[in-house]
Amino acid sequence: MNMTDRIIEILKNSGADDYEITINDTKAWEFYFIRHELDQNRVRNTKEISVKVYKKSEDGSSLGFATAVIPPTASDEEIEKTVKDLVFQASLLKNRPFELTGPGESSIETEESDLKEQSYGFIKTMDEIPEDENSYLNSYEIFIERTDRRFINSRGVDISFSYPYSMVEAVVNARNEKEEIELYRLFEMGTLRKEVLNENMTEMEKMGLNRLRAVPTPKTEGYPVLFSTDDARNIYYYFIDNTDAAMVYRKLSSFEIGKSIAEEGTGDKLTLKALGRLEGSSSNFPYDEEGSPVRDMDIITDNVLVNFHGNRMFSQYMGIQDSFSLTNIRAEGGTHSEEELRSGNYIEALEFSDFQVDPITGDIFGEIRLAYVHNADGSGYYVTGGSISGNMKDNLGSMEMSCSLRQYDNMLIPRITKLYKMNIAGVE
Amino acid sequence: MVARLAETYDYVSALATDSKGFAVRISNSSKSASNRTMTTERGIVFRVSRRGMYSEYAFNDLDPEKEDEAMERLEQALEDQYDLLYSAGVREYETPELDDEPLELFVEKETEILPEDCELETMVNDLVNICEKAKQMDERVVECYTSAQSTHISKMFISRNRFLRQSYVYSEGSVAVVAANEEDNKFAYKAVSGLKGPEIFRDLSSQLEPCIKMADELLSSERIVPGEYEIITDPSVTGLIAHEAFGHGVEMDMFVKERALGKYYIDKRVGSDKVTMHEGALCAENVTSYAFDDEGTLAGDVTEIENGILKTGICDALSAKRLGTVPTGNGKRENYAHKVYTRMTNTIFDSGTDSLEDMISSIKKGYLLEGCESGMEDPKHWGIQCIVSLGREIIDGKLTGKIVSPVIMTGYVPDLLGNISMVSTDREVFGSGGCGKGHKEWVKVADGGPYLKTIGRLG
Repeated sequence: MNMTDRIIEILKNSGADDYEITINDTKAWEFYFIRHELDQNRVRNTKEISVKVYKKSEDGSSLGFATAVIPPTASDEEIEKTVKDLVFQASLLKNRPFELTGPGESSIETEESDLKEQSYGFIKTMDEIPEDENSYLNSYEIFIERTDRRFINSRGVDISFSYPYSMVEAVVNARNEKEEIELYRLFEMGTLRKEVLNENMTEMEKMGLNRLRAVPTPKTEGYPVLFSTDDARNIYYYFIDNTDAAMVYRKLSSFEIGKSIAEEGTGDKLTLKALGRLEGSSSNFPYDEEGSPVRDMDIITDNVLVNFHGNRMFSQYMGIQDSFSLTNIRAEGGTHSEEELRSGNYIEALEFSDFQVDPITGDIFGEIRLAYVHNADGSGYYVTGGSISGNMKDNLGSMEMSCSLRQYDNMLIPRITKLYKMNIAGVE
Repeated sequence: MVARLAETYDYVSALATDSKGFAVRISNSSKSASNRTMTTERGIVFRVSRRGMYSEYAFNDLDPEKEDEAMERLEQALEDQYDLLYSAGVREYETPELDDEPLELFVEKETEILPEDCELETMVNDLVNICEKAKQMDERVVECYTSAQSTHISKMFISRNRFLRQSYVYSEGSVAVVAANEEDNKFAYKAVSGLKGPEIFRDLSSQLEPCIKMADELLSSERIVPGEYEIITDPSVTGLIAHEAFGHGVEMDMFVKERALGKYYIDKRVGSDKVTMHEGALCAENVTSYAFDDEGTLAGDVTEIENGILKTGICDALSAKRLGTVPTGNGKRENYAHKVYTRMTNTIFDSGTDSLEDMISSIKKGYLLEGCESGMEDPKHWGIQCIVSLGREIIDGKLTGKIVSPVIMTGYVPDLLGNISMVSTDREVFGSGGCGKGHKEWVKVADGGPYLKTIGRLG
């Protein structure tokens, strides 16, 4: 009997009312470079078996659950003890009841990927990035993974699928006779997207050279802020989080179905969609972590909330039976060209230390590492230092977006997002 | 397996881990339990080198009855990678062979209760009570979150000449509330942590009242007018500065890559003469106070800054070889499956001679900054970003009662440290957070220090 069958056998005799088992079998190759010399190479072969046990109260008014990771080397005695502990822990935890995913079996082969072939492609791509003495790759790390996932539950679901994941962390340096600066980026994708990596790396090198020309950020009171890099994802995570059934159920979000997320204003109207599949994404999973099928779904249409998303527990608390956890996202609704958005006074944020948008408070923060100040008379210059702050709630009615979109791994979002009600703390 | 691999490779070591724990998370809306924390794991990683090239193989399904099969898989996987690297024309960064001085060690730190033996029923009831009480205490509380997690770290390091084992327990708990009025949601958070077992959670309920008070203050807070101010940092914000400024700033794997200015400032002034800072697993008893690191180097206590002069950085073993120096016991992995980097343990400013009252009295117009939320390092340019929960306004040496939030503090590290003019006599260490390298590789760290008076740019 294999380990999964042993665990199922033990679970069936444990007194658990329901269970879920998720097995992730991951094979990964990793390569670390200093300049273009190999710092280390690594192989990672891991199997993670996660078991979730559900236990109802005697009168059925509550449902508890507890989760454990069972090592693949666990003995029968260890599995039995772990499951016994889980059943007891679940019996202590009183949640409102909800239903698990219903019966269904499937085995899906997603994108083909070969670790050796992918590794070769990534190594060669990074090696061929154009460089010169003023702008070059300081260091980079390449991660190539393939995971076989199986999800089983006590309601008859048994699904298997495979997916690739790749990641490159890169540091680009730029220098002149006075100083040397660096830019950091982390790129995620399914399999190798050579042209995307090339585009991003070239863009980084250009930004690096621009940062060398940057002057301290001045006071720029009243200037709107343009977001045109991967940091803009955090703005859209605000909408994703505030449409999550858990946030709404907990009353941390005030978004309501059928109502506008913003008061009528001058801004563009956001449309947000879940996508079952997005070419090149590292999150093309046919099922979510609870075995719910992932599909295309409208979430916000022209600023009006049409669907919540989220896990089964909170979705059902909100009266939704067929929701799922998001994997890929498309955000659109912009009515402006990039040229229109890049007119008048504005400050375009190109690199932050760590740009954050708090989903609960709506607070926006970021220390400026590189930005471009553009004045209405057409003059402009690069700046560094100081910070940007504001709040999403103040910007909902006036936010503008470009019609053109850009993909960052599992998110397709407007190339430019413009927020008007922001504070800029300069250093002069 | 180490002995067999030593026939083929110049250097061989293995780190085996079996760390157990639990995490209980209770809020008004959901209750869950898990045997997984940030640091629970079971697996093995082999590190080997041949002619100056270092490679690793991490896995978690070793069956001692099938050692030959495991050896074959390991050797085949690495050979496949060597073939690929050869065909891609990759040059290696040559590194001298790691030291392997003979050493045997077994360290087991005392703990009142082991996580494995913890009686969860009482704890669950206590956490449920905290959540219910939070809503009773203030009707503006929309959700109260509590967590209690405890991990029993067990690690074994084996090389040709070393056999090291250690076992210790750390725990961390938190109480957080989201409170709302008609305009705003605010998030307030209090935490406990330490090199202790689940007994640390007995007092968790005492964190609720200060947490609710903080939420109340945040709801009545105003936005700060951006600018440069005299500031006093509380020990948690002091710890955040220590961590971001001369924690990340002197991780010496960044020296190897020429990614840190600190490399060029050894024996030079980086702060006022009131600044002394220590780093090391031995310089405090907290969540990451181990006996040896993930490369089998014994834990240390490094004086990074002494009276304002940068003395040294912290270093993992491979980086030390590359830089021609000695490792400081700071080689850490997120878990057995991840690579070693130079990482922080306890990063702490030393105490001074001033009282908090005198520090407040000395300020004409400024803020007392309280509560660390997050930060980001920039060792190449010595920029710093600290997100702080709130600022208490000080005018003419007195707290006015006015609160500002949220606050983002930014600046140039040598200016921030160079302007430190007063340092309080007390100090605290906090271990409830995690630390990433860039945006990944999460490990436990602790940091802290006394109250500091300096000048900061706030927004």
